[in-house]
Amino acid sequence: MPTEHVDRATISVWRWQWIIATLIPAVSVTLMLVNSGRTPWGATGAILLAGLLVTWLWPTAYYRHLRYGADETGIVIERGVFWRSRIALPRVRIQHTDVSQGPLQRRYGVGTLKLYTAGSRHTMIELSGLAHADALSLRDALLEGSSASGV
Amino acid sequence: MASESLTFEPQHRLHPLSWLFSLTNYIKNFIVPLAFLVFLGARDDEMWGLVAVVPLLIGALWKQWIYRYGFGPRGLVIRDGLFFRNVRQIDYARIENIDIERGLLHRLLGVAQASIATSTGGKAEASIRVLSLDAVQELREQVFSHRAEKAATGQPAPQAVAPTADEVLLRLPPIELVRFGLIDNRGMLVVAALVGFLAQGGAFELVMRNAASWLDAPLHDFAALGFAMQAAIGVFGLISALIAMRILSVAIAFVTLFDFTLSRHSDDFRVHHGLLTRLALTLRVRRIQSIHQTQTLLHRFFGRVSVRVDLAGDSGVSEEGKQQSQTRTRWLAPICTPDMAQTLIATALPDVDFTASPNWQPLAPRARGRIFRKSVYFGVFFAALTALTLHLVPEAPFRPGMGWIPAVLAVLLPIAWWRAHVFVTNTRWALTDDAVMFRYGWLTRRLIVAPRNRLQSVHFAESPFDRRHRMASVSIDTAGGGAMRDNIHIPFLPEQIARALMVRLYHSEIDRGRVPQALPPA
Repeated sequence: MPTEHVDRATISVWRWQWIIATLIPAVSVTLMLVNSGRTPWGATGAILLAGLLVTWLWPTAYYRHLRYGADETGIVIERGVFWRSRIALPRVRIQHTDVSQGPLQRRYGVGTLKLYTAGSRHTMIELSGLAHADALSLRDALLEGSSASGV
Repeated sequence: MASESLTFEPQHRLHPLSWLFSLTNYIKNFIVPLAFLVFLGARDDEMWGLVAVVPLLIGALWKQWIYRYGFGPRGLVIRDGLFFRNVRQIDYARIENIDIERGLLHRLLGVAQASIATSTGGKAEASIRVLSLDAVQELREQVFSHRAEKAATGQPAPQAVAPTADEVLLRLPPIELVRFGLIDNRGMLVVAALVGFLAQGGAFELVMRNAASWLDAPLHDFAALGFAMQAAIGVFGLISALIAMRILSVAIAFVTLFDFTLSRHSDDFRVHHGLLTRLALTLRVRRIQSIHQTQTLLHRFFGRVSVRVDLAGDSGVSEEGKQQSQTRTRWLAPICTPDMAQTLIATALPDVDFTASPNWQPLAPRARGRIFRKSVYFGVFFAALTALTLHLVPEAPFRPGMGWIPAVLAVLLPIAWWRAHVFVTNTRWALTDDAVMFRYGWLTRRLIVAPRNRLQSVHFAESPFDRRHRMASVSIDTAGGGAMRDNIHIPFLPEQIARALMVRLYHSEIDRGRVPQALPPA
């Protein structure tokens, strides 16, 4: 099955998320150290450096390995940089779907498609980073003709 | 139709003694710990418990006064609620199961508790506590005849309702229950639960307070004995504890599974069991998602296996989004011979063709080496960790020297090799036209059969180690079981084969031909 990447704009969303995820510990460590009267520069610098490195490298790497493809049977999602996985979901198994957008995602026009199954271990299968319009049309394409029972 | 539903008022009332059972249910969680506390003298406010019962009694009587159920045009209607009135309607077509439970008190008074389940999952949609036996019979007949009508869309109710004779597939004689009790070490769990319970109830504080005086003399005597005698007493104590545990397990097996009967009623299985509490369960064949066969060392010793099924919606996530633990194991046969198991599995999965023997495939050739190395790495890691801990703890009884790790390895290597070897020889998978089968295990051997028309999703995974060895794993998800239960997960497959298997599973023709519609048209 031919697969394709999600929207490139999602890399920026992930970068912002990593920046926020770096700043929260960096700020709290700095405050803690300043409060106890120590110089915070070493610890804060280390956190910032590690955070920036991840922010710079990880989103692009993750983006490169995130692919999806839909055909008449259903949808296949591939992801993971080190631990790679591939999920194949027949469209008749989709119970209901969500298309959601966080504030950052709205800013960059991307969204997350969530597919719910009647399964037990993987009841929700998520594909984030699709352009919002693509997420909606993919959802419609998947729901088309999936009227058969889901169990 | 809609207006009929709106105006329908349920008329049936509960059995006049229902309040008694509501009350027992309310105070069960209450009285038992309380009794323990009183018994152990950890508290002295005994009257407090009696005072608490009064509002519960009023609540129980009120509930009985309010509660109504009835057979509406579309579904079963239940009106309930102490202050907030709640009217629940359960479509006949959606009702999958009516489970009947009768405890000792129920049986003395000739009543039963009925749980009504749909395929939503989680706990039963309604638990009617309690009904007379006639009312239960009426409930069953009404629900199932309405359901048959709906399924036949207007045609007169077909033979499905006509009482067909039950064909008994399996009945367990007492000797089998003894075997089951010996194999299934439930006594251990009960003892563990009891210990936890006593610890909470403050029993141990009591024991600890008096332990010094109680144990003083025996300990003194024990210390005076020679080492051989001490060891003998220790071993004897351990063995008697193990035997006591097994005897307890046998007793539990007797009480819970007494007169276990599996029968076939038209298209469904019916299960009855219990000595004091009688359970009558229906296993609907079209709800069966996968079958699990287990064979432990003891099973092999007795030449037996256990077979259970996963039903759709039996566990997983409930309405409120909370994870529900599965209420009870759905046994097809708690214990039976391997031949019997094959027959039962074939009966329970009518969509699967078992006539041709499946083409069992092995794991990747290098799987054995990987399993072996993995256990060795783990072993060495824990040995090193133990040695390090013992070095850091000042009052450790002994400090392993540098010889510790080689000594551990000398024991570990042969066992790890043997384990890897046995595991790899016993692990096989097979893909037939209509099912996936996977058997695996070292000491405990398991077999899982999942019909391909029950697949929910297929997963292919490669860890960095997998990639180095050009291997991958494939797992499938079905609607049965829970997040904690194993479903089919085939590790250590050659990568190319894993990819091909995934593609074939994904293209399983889920909607074609013999596959029954899971839900009838509403």
